Amino acid sequence: MKQLRLSEWLGWAPSRDSQARNACLLPPEKPGSSVPSMLRRRLDTPGRATCDILSKLDPDARFPLVHASRHGDANFTLAMLKSLADSAPLSPTRFSMSVHNANLGVHAIANHHRRPLQALGASGNEFNALLWEAQGYLAEGYEAVVIVFSEGELPEDYSGLAPHPGSACAVGLRLSHDDGRALVPVTSRRCIAPTPLDVIDWLGGRVPILDAASAWRLEEA
Amino acid sequence: MNQSDALALDLKHMIIDTLELEDVTPDDIDEQAPLFGDGLGLDSIDALELGLALQKRYGVTLDAEAEDTRRHFASLAALKALVEERRVD
Repeated sequence: MKQLRLSEWLGWAPSRDSQARNACLLPPEKPGSSVPSMLRRRLDTPGRATCDILSKLDPDARFPLVHASRHGDANFTLAMLKSLADSAPLSPTRFSMSVHNANLGVHAIANHHRRPLQALGASGNEFNALLWEAQGYLAEGYEAVVIVFSEGELPEDYSGLAPHPGSACAVGLRLSHDDGRALVPVTSRRCIAPTPLDVIDWLGGRVPILDAASAWRLEEA
Repeated sequence: MNQSDALALDLKHMIIDTLELEDVTPDDIDEQAPLFGDGLGLDSIDALELGLALQKRYGVTLDAEAEDTRRHFASLAALKALVEERRVD
């Protein structure tokens, strides 16, 4: 199997202080400029950042897009569950946006994207699942694939009960077989479930290895 | 402000708040202009959300399948006429 190569990446991590920032992080405030306001209003803040990342990494809407989130839009999902528990009617807007591929759908409408779209949740294995899906599309003959991994804020009710990076964040990578630094598989030192913040720290050079069920390092530039 | 103008303003605020319209003020909503499509630019999900809001706020229940529902949602003026006729306070 050919090695995956990282052509470009972008992150969004408002919780990171300015010293930890680098050129590959989007401004923390008011994401969503890539989406018209009538569509943007339906996205939460990490959803808006996800669309901005997709738009910058695939500006001509040429590549398959894969989005993963472990918990999805947990705040809106919980709000709907509470409405159901109270026998109150559900918001049609929130219901329509409760599917895991909602962010990709909004992005595709806004950017007239007509290539494959795929949304994943993988119980902590999101990053490796994204890489496998990218390999599949590249094997099909696509020139590149854009993957995005994001998490929203965790509702207070779930605090301490669900693995979470602690704040909303998102990271996107454009991957191909022939452009950029290779993702090199290495022996995993500890099997953890990497979050988007872990991926940002790895891509930004703060840690040399991304530990996961399958661990990775980046080829030297 | 008379009662009719007050209701129109209340409906405008309801639309803006319920549908989370960014950068839209009550003055931007023309009472006679279409709410959907070329006017304010609302869509079918907004129609469902507005129907729910009308029920909660004014006690007005609409049948999504009824022929006249489309007419009631044609403009803010039509919506106002509907609420004046059917509100349950």
